[in-house]
Amino acid sequence: MSRADRDLDAEVAAHLAEAAEEHMARGLSPQEARDAALRDFGGVTQVKQVHREMRSYTLINWLDIKLGGRMLVKYPGLTIVGGLAMAFAICVGLVVFRVLSLFLHPTLPLPQGDRLVEIQVIDLEVSDEEQQILHDFLQWRQSLRSVTDLGAWRNSNPNLLDAFGDSRPVAVAEMSAAGFKVSDGVPLMGRVLVEADEQPAAPPVAVIGYDIWRTRFGGDPNIIGRIAKFGNEDVSIVGVMREGYEFPVAHDVWMPLKTALLDQTPRSGPPLVAFGLLAPGESMKTAQAELTTVGRQVAAQSPATHQRLEPRLRPFAMMMSPAGDPAGGLILYSVYVFTAALVILICGNVGLLLFARAASREADLVVRTALGASRGRIVAQMFTEAFVLGGLAAIVGIIAADIALRNWGMSFLEVNMGRLPFWFDLSLSPATFAVASLLTIIAAAMAGILPALKITRGMGHRLKQTTAGSGGLQFGGVWTVVIVAQVAATVIFPAIVYLMQTMVSGIEDFHAGFPTEQYLAVQIERDYAVFAGNEDAGALERNARLAGTLDELRRQIASRPGVAGVTFAATVPTTGGPQKLVEMAYDLDASGAAAVNTNDGEGPLREATVAAVDPSYFDVLKAPVIAGRGFTAADAVTTSRVAIVDQSFVEQVLEGRNAAGQQVRFRYPGKAPRPWSGGNASDPPGLGDWYEIVGVVPELGLGAPTRKGRAAGLYLPAAPNLFVQIQMMVHVPGGDPMTIAPQVREAVTAIDPSLRLVNVQRVNEVNNDVLWVSRLWVRITAVLSSLALLLSLAGIYAVLAFTVARRTREIGVRVALGASRPRVVAATFRRPLLQVTGGVLIGTIVVFTAAILIRNTEMAGFENDLTLAGMAQIVGYGMSMLGVCMLACLIPTRRALNVEPTTALRTE
Amino acid sequence: MTPDRGDVTYGSLGLLVLKTLDALGPLHGYRLARRIEQISGNQLALNQGTLYPALLKLEQMDWVSSKWGLSDTGRRVKIYSLTRTGRKQLAREEAQWQRSTGIIARFFNITEDPA
Repeated sequence: MSRADRDLDAEVAAHLAEAAEEHMARGLSPQEARDAALRDFGGVTQVKQVHREMRSYTLINWLDIKLGGRMLVKYPGLTIVGGLAMAFAICVGLVVFRVLSLFLHPTLPLPQGDRLVEIQVIDLEVSDEEQQILHDFLQWRQSLRSVTDLGAWRNSNPNLLDAFGDSRPVAVAEMSAAGFKVSDGVPLMGRVLVEADEQPAAPPVAVIGYDIWRTRFGGDPNIIGRIAKFGNEDVSIVGVMREGYEFPVAHDVWMPLKTALLDQTPRSGPPLVAFGLLAPGESMKTAQAELTTVGRQVAAQSPATHQRLEPRLRPFAMMMSPAGDPAGGLILYSVYVFTAALVILICGNVGLLLFARAASREADLVVRTALGASRGRIVAQMFTEAFVLGGLAAIVGIIAADIALRNWGMSFLEVNMGRLPFWFDLSLSPATFAVASLLTIIAAAMAGILPALKITRGMGHRLKQTTAGSGGLQFGGVWTVVIVAQVAATVIFPAIVYLMQTMVSGIEDFHAGFPTEQYLAVQIERDYAVFAGNEDAGALERNARLAGTLDELRRQIASRPGVAGVTFAATVPTTGGPQKLVEMAYDLDASGAAAVNTNDGEGPLREATVAAVDPSYFDVLKAPVIAGRGFTAADAVTTSRVAIVDQSFVEQVLEGRNAAGQQVRFRYPGKAPRPWSGGNASDPPGLGDWYEIVGVVPELGLGAPTRKGRAAGLYLPAAPNLFVQIQMMVHVPGGDPMTIAPQVREAVTAIDPSLRLVNVQRVNEVNNDVLWVSRLWVRITAVLSSLALLLSLAGIYAVLAFTVARRTREIGVRVALGASRPRVVAATFRRPLLQVTGGVLIGTIVVFTAAILIRNTEMAGFENDLTLAGMAQIVGYGMSMLGVCMLACLIPTRRALNVEPTTALRTE
Repeated sequence: MTPDRGDVTYGSLGLLVLKTLDALGPLHGYRLARRIEQISGNQLALNQGTLYPALLKLEQMDWVSSKWGLSDTGRRVKIYSLTRTGRKQLAREEAQWQRSTGIIARFFNITEDPA
């Protein structure tokens, strides 16, 4: 008990004793005198309570919390709608915060994580990272003092031939032994890599990760010392790491980085990533200063290569962050802003609801003021009520955020980024709870304090009018803006859902022109690049060997039971091939110049989607040749200049001309042996070779459902060993083609263990990732829009109920005086009608503007949606939205009309 | 946030307290309550307890001050007295009250022919 409480107790006790004494003097018995004194005093407890409340300067007290709880029960509709809305705002805020903090404020779950740094080299000329840093790395290792335990790694993905004869690629880090030290890497068995392993003559060794040990070697307890085949190399396994160890990023296997065997000339050698630990007592700043000095020394030694290079230090975990990339950072921060806007909009709405509730309690608040409650007290009380609601909402929001992050967060990131770094962890952290509390306070402030300030403004003035409880209080301009924005959002969100849904259906319904579910697509990767600049003898020889391997592979797989055919292409159908500008021979005028038309222009199309295919492609796809001839084996030589086009090319480019014999060429031809490769529009246009169109086939899904427009397909014959990406397609007419996948793997391992199989999937599933993300978006926007709708209706209902309640007397008097019902209805409806109409109008304008903008971009799937029918649907939606809002106005209006004039007059 | 000054004496209890303390000098709570009742000719039946929040408010406004002392009967009581600012406030409130009641009074004094 506080001193003030004790003082008051003493004061009250003295008061009662004095009073009782006086009553006794008038002849009452002690008991009667005491009762009389208590009666005169009134409620002792209440007085003490009010006294205590008036003394307390704390913003939130227990009484208010209890009152807030009672309010939740008393107004269940508001509790559910407002609570859900706030929970949703908090959930969205948390999810965004959690995901963005992975990029903006990542932390490493390592003991020395805060001192672990990456050393990058930036090419200032192109503002890009230079990864060929072996030369620099060796220099740093010699001279840097402020960064210790310097190490580096390079990535590779060789096939691991495992204990079960299975050959699949694994993520290998060829890493300096220092990596284990800085990451506190402790082996489960055997040892980690040591510097001796990095000697050129040291035998090849590897340390494997826990998962690989369990899944690929069956958890063999005698694994140490076993020889495993990585690619074509026999490697001795010397250690198994503990579960969860994936340093440096997301790696399964570690091999020594033998720097002595690599090209050490400046700005050459393999791409490397360098790391180290800040020495004790050093900060990023001091270390950067030393690094800059060392960098200048290196530049002085090799001015030709290092003139514009600058080494930079950054926290290790920031390597996934776009922080160095201003555009990327801006996008991330704009997501923050968007989320903040959403939270504010939602909380503003809840504020609207609470305002209406408070308005209905105005008389109560007036009485409290009369008893001595200050404006601050009432504002604090309303804040507390909102805070109680917000607290419940926060619990729901946190649980929902956790579920969302667990179920979809990681998958969403994986779809977008591939395998995630080991420090990516979306479980809720203490920081998340801090953010949740902050969001709750902001939400409660928005939803509680704003309406409280509004409602208590001029309370003293209203107290002096004996007509407390009527007039005065009005919804102001701010609320009008909130309602209009809300209604606009309810139009915009469903429109987004609608567009997204159409896009999803577009992908689902995209017709490839052949039964894609019968085909298995397998991407084959090799360890070396073909024709990466210089075609030396070694490359040519490797290439010839690859041609033989692929032929053998084709022969073996085609002979398996159930397989109807095997072919190769440079792109999988429905994923979209490279698009290139073309010229037709008949385009050329006398000067030899040609007009160019891409997708968005008028006139005939001059952009083709190009696919390099094996000559057997059309046969295996069972696609009939409509006109002319198909490809023959003789066409698949680099000197051949024939092409086959699809029906869409005939219609869009040739405009129905007879295709056979037409001459076509690329405006920006690619490198000589690969005319189907991208070509660069910033290069000067080269006059490529003319290709003769020899045949026409049906459309075979050369475009992509995610790409704008209908692709005009141009097929070029080529040997699969020249493809940038080798996609093998296996036709399995009866049954699931996936069942053949293990046999394909087995055959590849037998023929060349260094070939890696990635993206083994049915052709009808190649767009599943895009579909997954799109469906997730549809789900998110659907939830958003239903919430917006619910909130909007509740808000409009609250406003109207409030307005009508305010005007009960006026309406009653009007009716009593014989005003016609339509007039009363019109008077009641005018304001909400204007607000809703305004909102619908703004929303529709935004949707149409966005639709027109989208139509002119490369965003796929939308161009078909803004047909008249689509627009009519959106307009129709806006109209029905208006109807629904009006429906929400109905009940309060009916109530107002049914008010008995006498009742109306008595409410004063 | 400072309370609206008009709020405090609103409902007149605060004003009555100020005026009573002004007229009769320092008093403790019970005596103050009884005096107000007596001055009103027992027309005002106070819930005596409501006096204490009012006194607290007046103290918070610095219009009255309090200190512990002894009552006539020898009990330890808190004795309230008017402060200088309280006296000024009272003068203001009194003038305002006189003005308003004066206006109303004139209306009650209207005769057929004011001249």
